[in-house]
Amino acid sequence: MPVVSAFLVPGSPLPMVKRDNPPWGALAEAMDVAGERLRASNADTVLVYSTQWFAVLDELWQTRAHSVGTHVDENWHEFGDLPFDIRADQEMAEACIAAAIEAGVKSKAVDYDHFPIDTGTIVAKQFLVGDADIPLVICANNLYHDGETTETIARIAVQEGDKLGRRVAVAGVGGLSGSFFRHEIDIADDHVAVPAEDAWNRKVLDLIAAADVEGLRAAWPDYAREAKADMGFKQMAFLLGALGGSYASADVLGYGPLYGTGGAVAHITPNG
Amino acid sequence: MQMSGSGELERDMAEGQIVAGYLAPHPPHLVYGENPPQNEPESQGGWEQLRWAYERARATLDELKPDVLLVHSPHWITQQGHHFLGVKELSGKSVDPIFPNLFRYSFNLDVDVELAEACCEEARGLGLTTKMMRNPNFRVDYGTITTLHMMRPQWDIPVVGISANNSPYYLKLDEGLEEMDRLGKATAEAIRKTGRRAVLLASNTLCHWHFHEEPEIPEDMSKEHPQDYAGYLWDMKIIDLLRQGKTDEVFELLPDFIQEAFAEIKSGAFTWMFSAMGYPNIPAELHGYGTVIGTGNAVMEWNLIKAGLAQAA
Repeated sequence: MPVVSAFLVPGSPLPMVKRDNPPWGALAEAMDVAGERLRASNADTVLVYSTQWFAVLDELWQTRAHSVGTHVDENWHEFGDLPFDIRADQEMAEACIAAAIEAGVKSKAVDYDHFPIDTGTIVAKQFLVGDADIPLVICANNLYHDGETTETIARIAVQEGDKLGRRVAVAGVGGLSGSFFRHEIDIADDHVAVPAEDAWNRKVLDLIAAADVEGLRAAWPDYAREAKADMGFKQMAFLLGALGGSYASADVLGYGPLYGTGGAVAHITPNG
Repeated sequence: MQMSGSGELERDMAEGQIVAGYLAPHPPHLVYGENPPQNEPESQGGWEQLRWAYERARATLDELKPDVLLVHSPHWITQQGHHFLGVKELSGKSVDPIFPNLFRYSFNLDVDVELAEACCEEARGLGLTTKMMRNPNFRVDYGTITTLHMMRPQWDIPVVGISANNSPYYLKLDEGLEEMDRLGKATAEAIRKTGRRAVLLASNTLCHWHFHEEPEIPEDMSKEHPQDYAGYLWDMKIIDLLRQGKTDEVFELLPDFIQEAFAEIKSGAFTWMFSAMGYPNIPAELHGYGTVIGTGNAVMEWNLIKAGLAQAA
């Protein structure tokens, strides 16, 4: 198993662009810890799946050698820019594309100047990789892929990393519960908007922390529906696919609100 | 317009008005097929019926001589409120995240910030959460750019860009569209108060069922057809009603149309535009219809001057 570490992180830009706000700063600190742990895992490549990179035709994989620029979030533009500097593991990404096609998942490379890399990927890269010289393999969230297909894509990617001798860290980037405040709030008083969704988030995080994958899978459909989980919680399906369906342990480093939605940072240790 | 005296006439003449609304969908394929210098990829054409429809729409727009074009785009999605472009000049390269092979467009927008601010304030006054977008590094979405390019490739008319708040998807459909109705009323009032001659552009596709794989040659029109027959029939029914001027009937059917044809007008632009125009029961001019990767797209015009509801320049 080439996976050396795995992380569940939120894709909201708020911890990055407004970490001086206490509720979001707490998540930023948890992301900092996650980044330290990822870099300590001596990963050669970080495999990233963000719920915010939408695809509707084919599965897309970022293959541009070096993407650098400034992104502005379409909703949180008032908090400033999201600069990014991302290197791709082109060899592994190309191998993933070929293997995914072989497995029946039509896939394409994305290699374009000014391609709009999504907020979630930028935030995850900033916190988890920082300035370290670790390339990424980034794949899209095809809106028509279910959890099973998403797991398959992750499994294929890890297999291709293994063939190439890569030590792979995996990041599943996305939110927990989905209800948000539609109006302006006092951001210092941010909290998960719906108490029942807050309870669901905590229950699911307990299952993740206990490495109870069977329990997690049993609760998943109800959680996705009742807590309006971000994209059906597909980022967790991606992590499970990459981890081979189970893992040794998990450490929930942070949990909190992101303008009413839920966000969590978890470090997952693969099976030995 | 009622005029009781010369003073009243002057005041009325100073007021702004909406002179037309267009249904102006935004498949980036249309820009790709046209090969304008701003777009990097090159094609051998394609989607001619729709591009020729836009040629006709460009001609009628030119006759209207508007001060400003307002566009509501479903590809600038916002959760916290309805947002308005609020930077005088925005430029950069917009790459479509879904079709980067087709659309990599260098844009330069002249924004009517005063009108945008007025829209923002009026909408806030009607109880909507609103926000001005003031970040100069903001990348304008491909829906806004495609609609504006297809309607006015000269880029010589200032614009107001309005986001698609996701309320029709997050709330119940009628609650979400009610917000778009209020946004339209606010837009009309802002236009009136600022004295603009305005054209509204609803950047929406009709039936939105689409292919799941792109043809090897995107512009190979032998591969282009409606993705869904029932959706196509819905499109024809809606277009036929609009051409007859049966706006009220269309809005009665809207929930069923949206659900059964997966119509993109759910995102609100169509409702916003009609609300701003006062839901006139006037016949639409159909400039053309065509499919793009299976979706249904109509270019249509509601000319309020011809209908006697606005004044010629």
